[in-house]
Amino acid sequence: MALRLGADFVAGVLVGAVFGWGFDALLGTSPWGLIVFLLLGFAAGILSLLRTAGLIAKRPGLDDDAAFRRFD
Amino acid sequence: MATTSDTPEGPFTTGEGVVVETPGEHNNFPPFDASTFASQLLWFAITFAVLYYVMAKVALPRLGGIIEGRRDRIAADLDTAERLKGESEDAARNYEKALAQARAKASTIAEEARTEAKTKADSQRTELERALADRLTAAETRISDIKHRALSEVGAIAGEATEAVVASLIGATTTPDEVGAAVRDVLSERDANA
Amino acid sequence: MATDPIHQFQIHKLVPIEVGGVDFSFTNSALFMVVTVVSASAFLILSARGRGLVPGRWQSAAEVVYEFVAKTLRDATGSDGMRFFPLVFSLFIFILFANLIGMFPYFFTVTSHLIITVALAMIVMGTVVFYGFRRHGLHFLKLFTPSGLPAPLLPVVTFIEVLSFISRPVSLSIRLFANMLAGHITLKVFAGFVATLGSLGVAGVLGAILPLAATVALTALEFLVAALQAYVFAVLTCLYLNDALHPGH
Repeated sequence: MALRLGADFVAGVLVGAVFGWGFDALLGTSPWGLIVFLLLGFAAGILSLLRTAGLIAKRPGLDDDAAFRRFD
Repeated sequence: MATTSDTPEGPFTTGEGVVVETPGEHNNFPPFDASTFASQLLWFAITFAVLYYVMAKVALPRLGGIIEGRRDRIAADLDTAERLKGESEDAARNYEKALAQARAKASTIAEEARTEAKTKADSQRTELERALADRLTAAETRISDIKHRALSEVGAIAGEATEAVVASLIGATTTPDEVGAAVRDVLSERDANA
Repeated sequence: MATDPIHQFQIHKLVPIEVGGVDFSFTNSALFMVVTVVSASAFLILSARGRGLVPGRWQSAAEVVYEFVAKTLRDATGSDGMRFFPLVFSLFIFILFANLIGMFPYFFTVTSHLIITVALAMIVMGTVVFYGFRRHGLHFLKLFTPSGLPAPLLPVVTFIEVLSFISRPVSLSIRLFANMLAGHITLKVFAGFVATLGSLGVAGVLGAILPLAATVALTALEFLVAALQAYVFAVLTCLYLNDALHPGH
């Protein structure tokens, strides 16, 4: 049920994890790639979570998007 | 789904616990079973392509056409209503104008009639006044004639009286001319003094 | 058949088809995709058959859906986004019908399988990327570089933006998948309680009242979720398409 709210966040972390895992597998930098990419994925997850939440709450519109871009 | 069963496998089967125990076709959680992916993707591609085609070519143009047609129709109806309203307002305005004209005409006619009557009465009155004035003048003329005649007879009477007085007083015989001259003198003297 | 909450997601082969060692069988999932598409098409085409100036019940339902999606898309992307209207409408109506059909007992929920929601999300992102590059060329990449940032931060933020962009199809697909999956499992578990308790005699029947009430309430909630998830998917699609139309503002 928690996935209902946090799909954006989970997706960000997931993408970060997959990138980190692939990076490590290619360059043999384990576990540093995973750690760094997980952190970046965390940030990306928060970013898209905020963006989606803000946009959905305000109802989408062109000016809304522009206003939100100033926020990040 | 709300499927019920007469032969439950056990009391209180929990969601998580059963995942591992399921003796399914694939010993796996079905949504993550990669062996079904190819078939699902193929059939999804086919069905979604059909849906997209039907939507884009048939359903949406038709619905859009209906909505558009209704919007046009409503706009046209509103236009017609607006036009008819304008026409009826014009008619009402024309009626008002005609009414005002008729009213103005009626009052003009009444005014004219009144003026005419007044003029006629005025002329009648002046005529009457003039007739009265004429008769007055005639009467005055007659009075003054009579007065003149009386006054001129006064001289003759005075002369006769003077003759008689002079004859009885002094016994002198006077001619009517002398007496007449004397009377005229006295009279004119009196007139001058008066 | 048991009160196994996962069983409803099982895929059975109805007509086995195999091409070059790959299984392309016509399954129950494929059957319900066909059902979804046929019923959605039938709804939209038959309801508008009369082309009534004054709409009937079905026609006004179809018109409401049409106007709703059109307004959502126009609000998010402006009038030049209307070229994507058939796509957004198809996605919305597919998800809506798949979710609602899945609410019937014994019916299969197409959108409860991750691969389908991923495919739906990839249609959106593929369109965004393809159209973004075709229309704006490399200017499309401005999407990833927020203006007014100090130079040292730019690479990090850009990279986070790229990750955020890549996570969009992931979140799009996971959200729909997880909602449908979790909702159906919850319903099944509560309905299973009712059946299990009901078979335990009088006390069990009394005890089953609570989960039965919960099942009824959850069913109503799931109908709401089914429609809401279709809407959320459509709204997010519109927002992402807006990025393809107007990147970097």
